[in-house]
This record gives sequence, structure tokens and C-alpha cells, in this order.
Amino acid sequence: MTERRALVVEAVEPVPHEPLPGALGVRKAESLATLFWRRFGRNALAVTGLVVMAGVILIALFGPSLMMADPNTIDYTAINSLPNGKHPLGTDNLGRDTLARLISGLRVSLLVAGYVELLDIALGVTLGLAAGYLGGKVDFVITRIADVLFAFPGLLLAILVAAIFGEAATDRFGGIGRLALVAGALSLVSWPLMTRLVRSQTLSIREREYVLAAESLGANRRRILWRHVAPQLLGLVVTTVTLNVSGVIINEAVLSLLGLGIQPPDSSLGKMISYAIPYLESNTLQVAVPSAMLMTIVLAVSFLGDGLRDAFAE
Amino acid sequence: MKDLTHANLSRRSLLAAGGALLATPLLTSSAPRALTQDAGGGPIRWSLTGVSDLVSLDPAKASDQQGFTVIAMLYGGLVKLDAKLLVVPSLAESWSVSDDGLTYTFTLRDGITFSDGTPITADDVVWTFNHALDPKTGGWTGPYYFTLIDGADEMAAGTATEVSGVKKIDDATVAITIKQPSAYCLSSLSAGPSKILSKAAAADPANEGKVTSGPFMLKRWNRGQGLGLAPNPNFYEPVTGVSELNFIFNQDSETGYQLYRTGEVDILGSSQDPVPASRVPEVQDSPDFRSTPAFNTRYVAFNNTIAPFDDVTLRQALAHAVDRDTLANAVLGGTVSPTERILPAGFPASDLPITGLAFDPAAGKELLAKAGIDPATFTFTLSYGVEGDNERVVTVLQSMWQENLGIAVKLEPLELATFSSRLNDTYQDPTNGLQAYYSIWGADYPDPQNFLSTQLQTDVGNNNGHWSNADFDTLTKEADTTVEDFAKRADLYNQAEQIAVDQVGWLPLFNAKVNVLVRDCIEGIEVTGMDYQFPEWSALVGCP
Amino acid sequence: MAPFFSLSPHHPITRLPPDMLSVIVRRLVSLPFVLVSVTFLTFIIGFLAPGDPILTMMGNQRDPAVYENLRHLYGLDLPWYEQYWRYLQGLLHGDLGMSYRYAQRPVSELLSGGVAVSLSLGGVALGLSLLLGIPIGMFAAFRHNRWGERLTMAPMLALFAIPSFVLIPILQWINFHFYGRGWPSLPAAGWGTPQNWVMPVIVLAAGNLGYLSRLTRANVLDVLGQDYVRTARGKGLPESIVRTTHVLRNAMLPIVTVIGPAVAFLVTGAFVVESLFSIPGVGFLSVQAVQQRDYPVIQGTVVVLTVAVVLMNLATDLAYSLLDPRVRLDR
Repeated sequence: MTERRALVVEAVEPVPHEPLPGALGVRKAESLATLFWRRFGRNALAVTGLVVMAGVILIALFGPSLMMADPNTIDYTAINSLPNGKHPLGTDNLGRDTLARLISGLRVSLLVAGYVELLDIALGVTLGLAAGYLGGKVDFVITRIADVLFAFPGLLLAILVAAIFGEAATDRFGGIGRLALVAGALSLVSWPLMTRLVRSQTLSIREREYVLAAESLGANRRRILWRHVAPQLLGLVVTTVTLNVSGVIINEAVLSLLGLGIQPPDSSLGKMISYAIPYLESNTLQVAVPSAMLMTIVLAVSFLGDGLRDAFAE
Repeated sequence: MKDLTHANLSRRSLLAAGGALLATPLLTSSAPRALTQDAGGGPIRWSLTGVSDLVSLDPAKASDQQGFTVIAMLYGGLVKLDAKLLVVPSLAESWSVSDDGLTYTFTLRDGITFSDGTPITADDVVWTFNHALDPKTGGWTGPYYFTLIDGADEMAAGTATEVSGVKKIDDATVAITIKQPSAYCLSSLSAGPSKILSKAAAADPANEGKVTSGPFMLKRWNRGQGLGLAPNPNFYEPVTGVSELNFIFNQDSETGYQLYRTGEVDILGSSQDPVPASRVPEVQDSPDFRSTPAFNTRYVAFNNTIAPFDDVTLRQALAHAVDRDTLANAVLGGTVSPTERILPAGFPASDLPITGLAFDPAAGKELLAKAGIDPATFTFTLSYGVEGDNERVVTVLQSMWQENLGIAVKLEPLELATFSSRLNDTYQDPTNGLQAYYSIWGADYPDPQNFLSTQLQTDVGNNNGHWSNADFDTLTKEADTTVEDFAKRADLYNQAEQIAVDQVGWLPLFNAKVNVLVRDCIEGIEVTGMDYQFPEWSALVGCP
Repeated sequence: MAPFFSLSPHHPITRLPPDMLSVIVRRLVSLPFVLVSVTFLTFIIGFLAPGDPILTMMGNQRDPAVYENLRHLYGLDLPWYEQYWRYLQGLLHGDLGMSYRYAQRPVSELLSGGVAVSLSLGGVALGLSLLLGIPIGMFAAFRHNRWGERLTMAPMLALFAIPSFVLIPILQWINFHFYGRGWPSLPAAGWGTPQNWVMPVIVLAAGNLGYLSRLTRANVLDVLGQDYVRTARGKGLPESIVRTTHVLRNAMLPIVTVIGPAVAFLVTGAFVVESLFSIPGVGFLSVQAVQQRDYPVIQGTVVVLTVAVVLMNLATDLAYSLLDPRVRLDR
């Protein structure tokens, strides 16, 4: 990925450790879930985050079909216009309705963010757990592969993948096809950071008393991993997603700027921002509207994530 | 917000302001210097946009426009262009042409020297051409610009050890022999790598840019940041009005603009990287702003040898369905000029009229029907390199073809290097090539040959879509070798251009403008369709 | 019930200090393998990717003889395995090859200045964001679920969510208005004076600050729930000591983790900042090299960054043991 923040860091928010094995006695999963939601419901900010995100997702899902204006209709007489009756949020530099493009772009951005995060979690967490818990040769090999990939020029891979499979992806999945392809390819080389974070936490967790105790009791490794180590990382995974969302949305814009992302005339939040930037001083709203949406998503997701983490941790 | 914050505004010469406003394309209106008492001006700070560093200061190795801008300050050629883009003497004070039109004999100015004081001789000239064509040099502009010279191709291919067409007659005389009579030979010798280098100094690479034959010499090169040039006191027409010429590298033209408006840059913009279009409204009334049509044309070209675009009727239908006026003026805000022809406005031979395929949706639909195409099922892909405002332009084309013809066109954005390799595929193997692509051509030297013959003659290297027309070939080839009578040449090119327009060799869209900012207090710089020209080096004066 | 009294062989008390030397030696021995892997991967992806460095450079001037000559000059006419082998041989002698784009200039010369610029700029920005981010994150954590936390974390998130290509024009616009009013203003771009650092550092640090403060807050919250903190407080240790020695130290683990890879991201990730402020770093150079398919330059940045990342990751792994003596790398 190219436009990385100078430091692409992912949050580690491990939950304080689980009560000792057996200390809770036998609890029903049901009641745990109920407890969890009750704790979550007490956190007003988290509930707000949940409601806002649900709203944003609903708009992305159903907004386009309810929209009056078409996001791709060009109006030569209304280029860069300010908000008016016809265009509630004004128009872009081709006279296209900003509100309509925001809603259709939202769908693209959320889809890509969700999908990239899922890949990152699947690869990063699995490998990080394996390296940190199993240690030895497994750790050595995984961390060396990670070392290889940290400085690997992902952009080159994106170009290759876009050139070989781009056309087929576009034919099959439309404007978003190639973007999904390229973003997916980049996820395949961007897991090392998540892996190192999960590993660092696992290295510490595996030396904690209750894990050592379970080991000395002869519990098998898989059980320890799932019962004692993985739950500690649940909070971390949730929080990592919240911080990464904005990075993914912004990086998508950079891919599009290099001709590797979303196909015109379709839009995305990041692309809307980057294409409006030259007009920042003359038509500020065109930058402000998608930026505000991006900010809303980031804040809502973060508060939601914080709430989930606290509910787990209590 | 009008940008008029430049500190020197009040000291501005009113006459100079008048001169700048009256400056029309190709017309020199040298700003009178009467009001300037002191001849010596200060430094000039010049933003070189679109680069983070230069490729090389060796004219034979450079390949970037920005590099050639600097090289033109450092080295002199045998000839140069004046503000009207006519060829005038430079290091050669005169030349003669043999009766068969094949041999040009140049006489060097008397007593000229390089910046280190050593004399400029015929040996240096001969070495310069050999160096530019030598495969070991690793350049490619030499073989491109000098292909007309006898033996140049052999030298470039490595089958000869010296260029047979460039000969020393005596210390001050050089003869250049070309393969066929040509009116643009001198013009091409003003450009690119034909700047004279010191053979002796070139032995040490550390001398790059320091031992020069032009008005300036290199003082410092801060890698990744910029260059500092000082006037060359040994130049035959020394620059006395500028203390220093500082080039500043800016990758982004918006950054250059920020530097300009905070008073840190005096010259900004070029035909390749003009003042950002979004900033033109706020500077267009400033006396610093200069605008002239650029010698480049944006166009759509087709893969002409395979279906569907082997059918000229379809190409014509598409041409009639593009409202260029709306594209240039409404969408791009008048920062470009719409065109229906190939030669840019102001270019030699562009004064002869061409009947274009004007915006006429009804005619377009009729042609489409004639081509037997059902717009409901027909589609094609328009490919383009992602850069600048390309995406806006093709999105507009897509919408116009949809609206006016009912054709749903697919757009294929390509990363730039991928785009250039796909163009090559299109040329090498049309069946695996692009269907249609959006591109640009800019002049290397001001001659119609550089636009028509090098672009659209059958199978020439730039003709990626293999458009071919026998009459066009005959007319342009005749014009290329016509020397004495420019009116006749222009007429031949005009007939050829009309064919290429009618048969849609290109679908021309618009000409860019050279929108630049030059501090009003700087004198002696002319802005032309081919960027900056300096009619007289002694007239170049920086701000006080 | 877990037998807390029995000492397992892994228990910290009976464990010998980790053999740091063997960890260091193993890592350094693996470095050449890592380098071969990453250069090979980069080479093969570049080899397969569309785009031809010579065509990209020459544009449409398609003179077959000149094209072949340039390919030969740069060894691009050799079979792929020979091209790679030649590169490796050069690397062994410390030769990073020569740039295609910059007319045969040695890659080492092209990178040397830029690496120093990128590292110093990135280092200052990272240092600043650590200096501010850690206290802010701690402040927020100690005021968990109170207004103090919400009021600090929301702006941090906002800073984090603003792309640099939006933040920069906003700063430029502010700076221009300072200039227009004759107030003290900063150079809009360039490199070399202390003033040139201000805006790029602000932009680079802004994003990091958001990240690091969130990260710190999360870790401190985690540690605050741990037994040993409760114990320390229970023992009656002053809260300030608990916070610095117990909480902060243990919360540093993930922060230290991200500093290692940060070296690579600071260099390649700063390309927007470099290009909009005309800074001669390697971030822009590396992106430009990919766009121009200047393979030796791409490989050069990859090699330099990989060495840096491997060394930094080694250093962080060793730091784990210092911060949390229970962590063992040699298990």
C-alpha cells in the first residue's frame, strides 16, 4: 500500500486477563452474552457509535435506490456549484450531485474497508498467535517472512495483479471488481504488522500464571490457545479494526489516483476527497462533506470498539 | 482571493505591464526597459515542476522536459529559436546550404569560448553529435532528433564508430549532411541534445554542467532540491541583468503555486505542468499571469486495423458526438482551447483553415446507423493513463457518447507505465491492443512535420493505432522534402491534415494553454507555445 | 484448581536469563536469507508486472535499434535468472546497481542523501508524537469513561482520520494568510532550514499522535486491570510510582513493537508529505521508481529498508525482555 500514514500502527487493547480457569464455575454462554450486552448498554457513547454505524450502513445499503439524483449524471451548467434546491450538498467539478455520490461512494468505501480488515484479521491474528504461542521454529519462520514483507513494494504487486486480473474482475464485478482485487492482494502482504502485535502480546500472555498452570496440568495446546490465549486478544482485534478503517479508506483513494483503484465514473469517499482537494479554497464543501463522513465513521467505529472492549473486560 | 501580494507590485513598470497584456501567441513584444535605470537585477527563482530531480545535465542523456529547460540555459546550440520560433544563429554565426539541399555548412562565431575559457571549435561540435548518438552514452534523444543526419542511424545502432554526416572542415567550420532535403532540419537542430559540449571537459563527469557553452554555468546542484546557475562571463552575449538563476524542484504544481504566492518563486509553470487549473481564476487578472496556446493536442485515437474501428464511419460518428466547446470551456473552465484539427493554434501552417467534424449529434447518429451499429448492444473500451485531469475528460466523453449516440462506453484507467506498455502492444500486435485511447502529443520543434508525418504516416513509431492513408503519406512525404517554398509546404500539410481529420486519424479534442506566472518585474522572457524563449540574453533582467 | 505452588520449568523464577547472544546471532545469520528472499520476490514481481522501464522512459519514440541498445546497456536483454544473479553478485560487493531513469547514476548515490533526510524527518516526527502521545494516552486512560478521556480522544481520532493530502493544503492556506498579513510565516516548501521542518513534522506527527495516544490509552487500561498493579497499590506505594514504574513500563510493549516496522513506514509512507513539501527524501523516490519501473532503485530501497527493519525488530524483541522479564524469545 502506498499512502501509508507515516506510521501504520495497530492498536493493541488486550482485555485484562480472564478469570482463572474454573474460578467462574460453569457459566452458560447465554448468560455471558446477556451480561455483555447489559454492560455495553450502560455506555452511552458506545451505543451512539453503534446507532450511527448502523445508520451509515443502512444508508450505504439502501440509500442508492432511494436517491432522487443519479451519482453519475453530469451537469455542465452546475459545475462546482454550492448547495441549492436541486443539489442539497452542491456538485463536484463535473456538476455531479455530491449527496448522491457520497452515498454511492460510501458503499464502496465500507465494502472495501470491511473486506480488507477481515483479511488482515484472518492472516495477522492466526500467524501472530502461532508465532507467539508456539515459538521456536514456527516463530522464527513467521517473523522472518514478516521481515521480508515489511519493506516489500506492495505497489508493484498491485500493478501486477491489476494488469493480469483487472479486466476479468471488472467484467465480472463491475467498477469495484478491480479495486477489491487489488486491495485483497495488498492484504496478502500487509499482515506482518498485525502479526507482530499479536505475537508481542501472546509472548507475554503465554508466560502468565494461569497459562503456565494449565500447561503443567497437561491441557493440550489447542485447548489452551482457544480457551486461554485467544480470548485475551479479542479486545485487541476489535480495537485494531477501529483504528484501521480510516487508513484503508484513504489508501483506496491513493490506489485510485494511481489508476489501480475504483473505476470511473464510480466513486468512493477517499477518491471524492482527493479529487476535490484542488478546489479546497474555492469550493470547500466538496472536501468537507466526504471528510466529515470519513470522520463520522472513524469516531463511531472507535467509540463502538471502545464499548465492546470495555464490555469484554469488565 | 486575488493574488496580488507580491512585494514588488508597486514598483511595477506600467509599460511592462502593458507589454505583458498585449503579448499574443508568437508575437514578441519585448517589454521596454526604459524605466529600469540599473541594468543589474537580482536572482531569478524558477520552479521546475513535476520532478524531484533532473535525469542528467548531459544533453545526450537527458530525457525530461525539465532537464532540457535547464540545459537550454547552460549550453548553446549551433542555432536557436527566436520568440517567433524562427531559426536564428547562435554559436554558429551563419550557415549555407548546398544546392541539392543536403549539406549545411556552419561557421562558428569568431573567438567564442566555453565557460572555462577554452575555445569552442569544430572538434567539439563533431564530438557532440557523436556523443549523442553513441550507444555507449545510453541516451535516446540523439537518435530521435538526429535521424535525418547521414550515418546517424548506423552510429546509433552501433554499426558505425562515427557519424558520417558530421564533418569538420576547419577549426571554425562544420558541415552536416542529411539524407533528404528537409525544411525542418535547422529547426530540429535547435532542440534537444544538439547543444555543444566541450570534448575536453567531458572526460571528467564532475564537469557536468560546469563547463558550458551557453549563457549560464552550474554553480551547485542540491540533489533532490534544485540547481544554482551563475551567468557565464565567457558567453558571446553575456547575461548581466541576473545575478543568479535558481531552479527549484517541485513534484507538485500546487506546491509551486504555494511558493509563488508566498513570494519564494518568480517563475512557475510550463506547457507540461502549467499553473494548476483550479488556481487560474485567482491569478488570471494578475500582471504576472501569461497565457498562450501550447503546442500540444489532446486527442482520442483508435485501433484502426481491426473491427470495429477499421470502419471510418464509426470513427466519424464518434467525432460528431463530442461537444468540444462544452468540454473545454464549461468543464475545464477555459484553461484549454477546443479544437477540431491536429495542428495546434499558432503552429506553423495552422493559419490555413481545416473543416473539422463539428459537434452534430444528428449527423453522428446517422453515421452510426450507416455503419450498421446498434447503440443498444454496441460498446467499446476507452483506455487512458491516470494523470492530471485525464479522468475528468474521459468521463465527459463517456457521458457525451452515451447521451448523443446511446453508446455505453467502458473506461479503463491504467497506471502510467502500464498504459505506455499497452500502447506498445497495440502497435506491435493490434489484435491484443487497446481499442481506443486518450493521449497527447506535444511539439519537439515547431514544424508541421513533427505533428503530421511523425504521428500519422503509415506505420511510423508514434502511430500506435496504425491509421493509414496513401494520399496522406504522399502529401506529407512531399512536404517533408520541400525546402524553399514554405507556402507550398504549408499547403501540402494542410491537404494532408484535412484527410487525417476527415478520416479520423485522430479525434482531436483540445489544445492546452501555456499558463504560467512570471514576476512582472522580470524582463526579457517570452512565453510561446513551446514554453520560454529568450530573444536576447543581454535583455534578460531579474527583479531588483 | 491450578497448583500455584508447583514451579513449572517455564516459571519466571526458575528460568535462566534468556540467551540474548544466541538470539542476536541467529537473527544476523538469517539476514542474508531475508535479503535474498525479499530481493527475489521484488525482482520476480517486477519482472512479471506490465510496463517496461525503457519504453516508459522513451515514450513513443519507438526506434527498435535504440530500444535494444538501451536494454542491452542495462542488462535487460538477459534471461531473468541471469539478471537476478547479476544483481545478487553486485549486492554481495555492496553494489546496488545503476538507475535506469537517472541516466546510470549509482543507486547508492541516489539513496544516500534521501535516506538520511527521511530518517531524520521521520525520527523527529515519531519522537514528537511519542513525547506527546504517551502522556495524552495515559491521561485519557486514567480518566476512563470520564469527560477528560472523551475530550482528549475525540480530537486525537480526528487528527488521525484527516488524510495528509487534506491537512497539508489546510496548513498551506493558513500559512498563506499569515504571509499575506505580514505575520511571521513559514516557507511553503523546500528543505535545508529549520523552518522547513515545521509543517512536515506537524503533518507526520499529527497522524502518529492519534495512533500512539490511542494505543497508549488502550494498553494502560489493560495494565490497570492486572493483578500486580492492584498488588502494588495495595502495598501502599504512591500512585505516581505505580503509574510510572508499573503501569507505563508494562504498557510500553505494543508501542515498542510498532517502532520497529515504523522505520520502513516512516520512509516509504512519507511520500505524500515529501512530494507536497518538495523534500528530497526516499519516500517519493521509491514510489516514482515503481511508476517508472526503475528496478535497481526499487531494489535499493527494499534492501536498505529491510536491513533497517530487521535490525529494529531485533532491537524491539530484545526490549521485550527488558520491559517484561517474563517474555522469552528462546522457548
